[in-house]
Amino acid sequence: MAVKFDVNGAQNVEVSKKLPCEKPLAEQLEIMEEYTRVHREASNGPKELREIACLKVLYPRLFRKIEDQDLVAGRLDFLPIGFGCVTSVGGVGHYCVFNKLLAFKDQLEDEKQKARVDQLYQYWLDHDLKTKYCREVLTEDTIGRFIDVNYPLIATARLSGMMLDYPKLLDLGIGGLKNLLKGKLENEPENPFYLAGLECLSLFEDCAEALAEKATFQSADTSETRKAELLQIASDLRKIKTDRPETFPQALQLFWLYAMLAGVINYARLDDCLGPFLAKDIEEGRMDQQDAYRYVKCLWTMIENRRTTVNGRVIVGGKGRKHPKEADVFLHTALKVAKDCRYVEPQFTLRVTKDTSEEIWDEAMDALGAGATYPTLYNDEVNVPAVAYGMRVDEKTAEMYVPFGCTEFVIQGQSTGTPNICMNLLKMMTIFMNDGVDPVDGMRKNREIPCPPLSEYKTFEEFYAAYKRLLDYYMDLSIQAQYYSYEVMNRDVSFLFTSLLTDDCIERGKALLDGGVRYLGGTNEIYGLINASDALWAIKDLVFIRKKYTLDQIEEAMLANFQGYEELRADLWACDKYGNDLDTADGMATDLYEYVAKGVRQRGIDAGMQYFLVVISNNQLNTEWGRKTGASPDGRYMGQYMNPANNPQGGANTSGPTAMLNSLAKIDARYHAGSVQNIKFSPEFFAENREAIKLLFKTYFEQGGSHVMVTVVGRGVLEDAVKHPENYKDLIVRVSGFSAVFVNLEADIQQELMSRVLYD
Amino acid sequence: MTEPVLKIFDIQRFSIHDGPGIRTTVFVNGCPLHCPWCSNPESQKGRTELMHFDRKCTRCGRCFRACPNGAISFSVEKGPVIDRSKCQRCGICARACLSDAMRMTGKEVTVDEVMAIVRRDRHYYEKSGGGMTVSGGEPFLQAEGLAALLKSAREEGIRTAIETTGNVAAESFQKAIGLVDTWLFDLKHADAQMLKEVTGGALSLIVENLKQALREKDSQVIVRVPVIPGFNFDEESLNGIFRLAFSSGASQIDLLPYHVLGKSKYAQLGREYTQEGEKGLDKKELIPFALIGQRMGLTITISGKDPASIGG
Repeated sequence: MAVKFDVNGAQNVEVSKKLPCEKPLAEQLEIMEEYTRVHREASNGPKELREIACLKVLYPRLFRKIEDQDLVAGRLDFLPIGFGCVTSVGGVGHYCVFNKLLAFKDQLEDEKQKARVDQLYQYWLDHDLKTKYCREVLTEDTIGRFIDVNYPLIATARLSGMMLDYPKLLDLGIGGLKNLLKGKLENEPENPFYLAGLECLSLFEDCAEALAEKATFQSADTSETRKAELLQIASDLRKIKTDRPETFPQALQLFWLYAMLAGVINYARLDDCLGPFLAKDIEEGRMDQQDAYRYVKCLWTMIENRRTTVNGRVIVGGKGRKHPKEADVFLHTALKVAKDCRYVEPQFTLRVTKDTSEEIWDEAMDALGAGATYPTLYNDEVNVPAVAYGMRVDEKTAEMYVPFGCTEFVIQGQSTGTPNICMNLLKMMTIFMNDGVDPVDGMRKNREIPCPPLSEYKTFEEFYAAYKRLLDYYMDLSIQAQYYSYEVMNRDVSFLFTSLLTDDCIERGKALLDGGVRYLGGTNEIYGLINASDALWAIKDLVFIRKKYTLDQIEEAMLANFQGYEELRADLWACDKYGNDLDTADGMATDLYEYVAKGVRQRGIDAGMQYFLVVISNNQLNTEWGRKTGASPDGRYMGQYMNPANNPQGGANTSGPTAMLNSLAKIDARYHAGSVQNIKFSPEFFAENREAIKLLFKTYFEQGGSHVMVTVVGRGVLEDAVKHPENYKDLIVRVSGFSAVFVNLEADIQQELMSRVLYD
Repeated sequence: MTEPVLKIFDIQRFSIHDGPGIRTTVFVNGCPLHCPWCSNPESQKGRTELMHFDRKCTRCGRCFRACPNGAISFSVEKGPVIDRSKCQRCGICARACLSDAMRMTGKEVTVDEVMAIVRRDRHYYEKSGGGMTVSGGEPFLQAEGLAALLKSAREEGIRTAIETTGNVAAESFQKAIGLVDTWLFDLKHADAQMLKEVTGGALSLIVENLKQALREKDSQVIVRVPVIPGFNFDEESLNGIFRLAFSSGASQIDLLPYHVLGKSKYAQLGREYTQEGEKGLDKKELIPFALIGQRMGLTITISGKDPASIGG
C-alpha cells in the first residue's frame, strides 16, 4: 500500500538557525549535482565504495573558513543533498532534504538552474534513504513520520547518538588505524569495508592537509598573535594527519576533525580521552590553566555553533575512567567553561558516584547557580547496574554508558541506541476509550484491536487490561519499525567513519549495521506516561472505588473537552497525582511504566537485538504531541501539553521537592535507557540554600534517583508564574516558621519576593 | 484508647529554616498570642478557617449559590464577598469551587497520619542532620497530641524540634521535656508591658519556660527574635532581649528580619493587617545589632546565617 506523506515536511525541530553555506549558490548546485552523479554511477557496486566516493565529493570542499576565535580547525557546511547520520546536521545516509532543496531553488534566479534543481529533486525522490523508509513503513492510520503528531506512534530511519571509540583513535592515530586495516586486508583483500575504510582515512588526511593550507593562507593577513595561532593549527593538522597526537591541541584537533567527518553530534567521555594530554601539557609547561580554559572554551563554542539543539553531549566524571586523575583536570576546566558560557550546547553531562568529591559537587552547584542548566547530573551508582541489567552486559561494559541526545544511553564505542520510534501512551488511551477512534481527527487507529463499549468493563482490571491490548499492538509495531530502520539503512549505507571507531567492525570486517556493531541496541521514546497513569488512577478512584461517575460519563466529558462538565473535570484533577510521594498515583505510574518498559525490552530481545529500551526524555514533543491529543481522564484538556520527561504534569505536584524526588526515584532504572527528571529553583532560593539543595540531590541519588536536570529559572519565569499560577504550583518559598506556596501569595507579595534576595 | 489527634493547618516538607538540616514542619493550629505581624494568621483562632484566594477566582458564582447560610454575596466585579459573621465554616463553598479559590484550612489528624508523611523523608533527615519540626500556632496548646507526636518521631529515630512562643502553662511545657532535640524559642521583647500590649504575651511565663528548656541537657536552644519595625527594631529593645536571654542562660540567638509574606493571608481570611510597614527588613539592616549581641558573648545569627557571611 502506498501511503501518502509529505516528503517536503520539516524533518526535525530546528530551534536555532545555522549559518548559511559560505559557498555561492552556483557552486552549491554543482556540488549537489556531482554528488548525485557519483551516487548514480556507483550504484551498481558495493555500497561501501559508493559511500566513500560520495564522501569525496563533499570533503574537504564543504569545510568553511577558520573563524577568528578557533584554536582547532573544522567547521562544515551542509547542503540539501549529501551524506550524514542524523537530521540535525545534513540528513540520514545519502539524503535529500526536500524542503531545503526547494528553499534553495527559491533563491535561484536563473530558470535553467531551477530546472537542474528539479532534476535532482526527481532523482532523490527514489533515493533519499528516509523517504524510502517512510514509503515502506508508514501507514495511513497507525504509524506517522517524524514529527507528525496526528499519529500515536511515529517512526524514522536515522543513526542518532553514536559515540565513538576516541581513545582508540588517539592511541593509534590515523596512521595506526590505517595499518590496522592494511593488516586485515592481507587476509581479505577484497573486503569492501576495509577497502572503503582505508580510503576514508586517506580522505581524512586530505581534509587535514586542506585545512592546514586554509590556516596557512588565512595567516597571511592577520595580527601577529593570530598568525602564530593559525600556523600552530596548520602544524598540528599536519602532525595528526598521520601521526599519533602528542599534545592537547593535537588530540583535540584529531578528535574534532574525525567527529566532523563521521557526522556525529555527541562527543563521549572527553575527560578520559583528552584529560591525559591536557594534564601532560600542563605538567610539562607547554600550557597553563588559562590556555586550557581557552582551548576548552573553543571546543564549547564550536559545539554550540553546530546548533544541534538536543545533542552535543560532552560527558565527564563517573565510573570506569582509565585516567581519573588526568580526566579531572579536563573536568574542572570544563565546569568553569560551562559556568561562564551558559550555552544551550554542549549538553554538559556530569556522572557522579558516591565518591565524587565535594569540590566537584561545589563547582557543579556554582555552574547551576549561575543559570547554566549544566552540568546535568547522572548517578552512576544507579545507572551502571541498571544499564548492565537493561542492556544485558557486564558491569565493566556498563560503566562505559553515555547519555546522548535527550538522555538515551549507549555504550561508548560499542553500541547503537538510536531512538527511531516515539510512542504517545496518552493518545493511545484516548483512542482506546473512544471505540478505537482518535477524538482529535475522528480517524480509527486501533486496527484489529477490540475497543469495546466502556459500559462492558465491570472492574478496573478489565478496563486496564483492555488498554494494555492496544499498548501491546503499538509495542509490536515499534519493534518492527525500529528493526526495519536498521535494515533499510544497512541496504544503502555503511556509515564508514562511524563504523571504523565502533567495536567490532574492524575485527569482523563489517560495517556497524551489517553485523559489525558489538551491541545492536535501540530506544523508544515514550510520551504521556504520567498523564496516562494519573488518568488510570483517576478512573480507578472515581469510577471503581468511589463510584462517583461511570466510564461513559467520563468519556462523554472528555469528548466535550469538559465543556459543561466542569465539576467532573475538577474531580478528575483533584484525584491523587504522581509527583507527591503518594502510593496511589505513584503506584499506578510505576505499574504502567513497568508494563510498557518491560514489554518494549522483551520485544527487543525477541527480535534478536541486544536491547530495545524505552527512554523518557525531555524536549518539545510533549507539548507538540499534546496539541493533537484529546482531553484525558487525568483532567488534562484537549490540546494541552503533556507531562514533560518523567516529571509530574505541570501544576500537579504540590508537596515540595522531597516528595517529587521520592516519586521520581520509584521508577526502576533497570527497564529504561535514560529518564530525565527536571527540578526548578528560583535564583534566590538556590543561592541562599545551596547546601540543603546539594544534600537534597545526594539523598535522592542514594534513594535510587538516576538523573536530575537542575534549572535555576530566570526572572522571566517567575513573572510568568505571577500571571499563570496554575502552572507553577511547584515553585517553593521557604521562610522561617512560615507556611505558604508561592502561587498562593498575592501578586504584590510575589513581586516583593522576586525583587529581593533577603528571604530565606 | 482513642488515638491522639492534632489540629494542624499544614505539613511542609523540605523545610530548611526551622532547625538544622532538611526537615518536615508540622504547623499546628491555635495560638495564645496575637502578634500583628504574624505570618500564619490562619492558625491564630485554633479552628478551621475559610480562605478566599482572589487571584484564582474565576467569578463563576458557584460558592455564592452553594452557601446554605447566605454568608456569601456575589458580583462579577468584586467576586464573592464573605460575611464572616454569618459564615459557619462548613466548607460547602470550598467543595463547590472548581478553581481552588475557596479553601478550608485546618484539619484534625491523628499522630499516625502525621508520621506517615514525616517518615517519608527520613533519608533526607539522616543525610542532612534534619528531622521534624512542630511549629504553629503554638504547639503546646495541644500538649498531649504534641507529646505523642514527638514520642513517635523519637521512637523512629527522627530528631525533633519545636518552635514555641513559650507562652504556655508550665504543666503543658513539661510534657515535651526529654523529647526535643532543638528548641526554637521565641523571645520577642524584654519589656513585659510592651509584650503584653502588642502580643498578649506574659513575659514571666515565657522566661520561666525558657529556663526550663535551657535546663535540658541533651537539647539545643535557639532563641528566636522576630525583628519588627516599631516594636523591637531598635538598639534598646534588642539589647534588652539579648540581656534577658543571656541572663536566662541562653547562648544562641537567631534574628529573623520582619517580612510581609504573610500579608496576603489576612485578605484571604477577611481580616485586617494591622502591622505597619510595607516592606520587610533586609538582613543587612540587622548586622549592627548582631554585633552588639556578639560583644555580650552570644552567638548571633541572622536568618540562620553568620552575620559575617552576609554580603554588604
